[in-house]
Amino acid sequence: MTEHYWGWLVAIYLFMGGMGAGAFIVAAVLELSGERYKHEYCPTTLVGSGVSGLLITIGTVLLIFDLGAGLREPWRIINMFTNWSSVMTWGIWILSFFIPTAFVYGILELMHVYPGILAWVRKWLKFLPETLPYRAFKRVVCSIGILLALGTAVYTGVLLSVVEAVPFWATPLLPALFLVSALSTGMGLSLDLSAALVEPEAAHRFKRLPLIHAALIGLEIILLGLLLYTGYQQGGEAAESVQIILTGAGSVVFWVVVAGLGLAFPLAINVYALIRGSHGYVVGVLAGAAIVLAGLFVRFLVVAAAVPVTV
Amino acid sequence: MKAHEGEVPVNGPATRSEAEENALSRRTFLKVGMGGGLLVAIGSKWMPFSEAMAQVQSEYVLIIDLNKCTGCGACEEACNQRNELPEGKSFIHRLKKGEELEGGCWCLPVQCQHCQDAPCETVCPASATYHHPSGVVLVNEKTCVGCKYCAIACPYEARIYEEESGVVNKCWLCLDLVLGGGRPACVDACIPGARIFGRRDDPEIAELLSSGRAQPLHPEFGTKPGVVYYIFRDKGAQES
Repeated sequence: MTEHYWGWLVAIYLFMGGMGAGAFIVAAVLELSGERYKHEYCPTTLVGSGVSGLLITIGTVLLIFDLGAGLREPWRIINMFTNWSSVMTWGIWILSFFIPTAFVYGILELMHVYPGILAWVRKWLKFLPETLPYRAFKRVVCSIGILLALGTAVYTGVLLSVVEAVPFWATPLLPALFLVSALSTGMGLSLDLSAALVEPEAAHRFKRLPLIHAALIGLEIILLGLLLYTGYQQGGEAAESVQIILTGAGSVVFWVVVAGLGLAFPLAINVYALIRGSHGYVVGVLAGAAIVLAGLFVRFLVVAAAVPVTV
Repeated sequence: MKAHEGEVPVNGPATRSEAEENALSRRTFLKVGMGGGLLVAIGSKWMPFSEAMAQVQSEYVLIIDLNKCTGCGACEEACNQRNELPEGKSFIHRLKKGEELEGGCWCLPVQCQHCQDAPCETVCPASATYHHPSGVVLVNEKTCVGCKYCAIACPYEARIYEEESGVVNKCWLCLDLVLGGGRPACVDACIPGARIFGRRDDPEIAELLSSGRAQPLHPEFGTKPGVVYYIFRDKGAQES
């Protein structure tokens, strides 16, 4: 009776939700702190704001594809807003506010960077002023959005941690791990990967970036270690889950993709950058990609290693 | 606070004051404690009887006597027919237990435990899982979205995902038959008479419940099931 009810689709959704939320938080922090305006052009906020809504929308669509009757009769999805004791209902409410907020932020950021957009829109909507108070608008959107993004990142972990029937999941370490991973992957995507691809110098623009990266990866290693250690100590089904990850079917993914490539490699790169002041462009992009990859596979391992209690 | 808590007409401690509840458990404990007060373990963790039995509060109780169960599968088959389930599917699944024991293995038939505090109901985002006023847990097949969260949250693995309808279903204790004065199909079908069904306040049921040998599964989750297992003292002692 050990069927895996949730698989890849849910893992990818948890990952995209987390990374989208993380990318939003990074962009919103740069916006609210005024850091964004110290540079003529800031692809990080552009990527962070524009991509986060898109990522979470894709993730949500994947989640809908995982439904049974709700996929065949989509109007049933409206029912999912109704049970306030269900973490999934909380998540759906958070998402339905966060997705529009992220898109509004993305559009505002685009319009701010490319004034031509407003000029083009004004051809039809002549009542619009020549310019809009973008900064004020974005301040409001970012302030609300940052809370919704935190909610999104944390809820993806709580969704699993309330399931007492899967002892490995039933710990507050899981939401903590997912939150840290969300911030880490969000930075990896919007600072190291995309920003660097759009504008190579962007990766070196934020001096404290390697420090924050290294700290987050370090924290992720500690949380992941604690999750596995407490699971092992707990014994029973939780220990079985840990064994699946460390020595069983998930061991190659864990040691090679997550521990080696996804955590140790970017940690080493960022520590190197801390000591030397900077790291190479290609290496930085690779480290960003590795962080993102680790985020996906950490979630996949956690979902796939679920061992339900023996009846 | 869950919506159903006020609706379920319970005869048990839920409607009593805390003092009465304490007195009750003390009485039960004395009665049970004399008999040995043994902690038994079959597959899952078990609690002292007094503690575990204080959890049973539903109006209807299904007692499965593991001494009598032969594991023949008649209940499974009856459930399959009654609910018109696809070939080989049933809301009851038989678990083989104690294979490592010298006395040979025995069967643990598991179905929805009709928990008063049902984890599946808590997590169901669509409110499709709900309590009938009698305490029986039901699934509204018209509102279920098939997210399978309930199947993951149920510690008894009693949820069945139906591919055809895309709905996660489960045992409904044949509530139509029960409300009409009858018994669930699995109870009628049980050849060795291992399934005993009735109202909680039924003297026969009440006696079995207070006998000190009835136990819910996984009482550590605090789900307060309406299905309890009448367990063998010998087997329990062997494994404890």
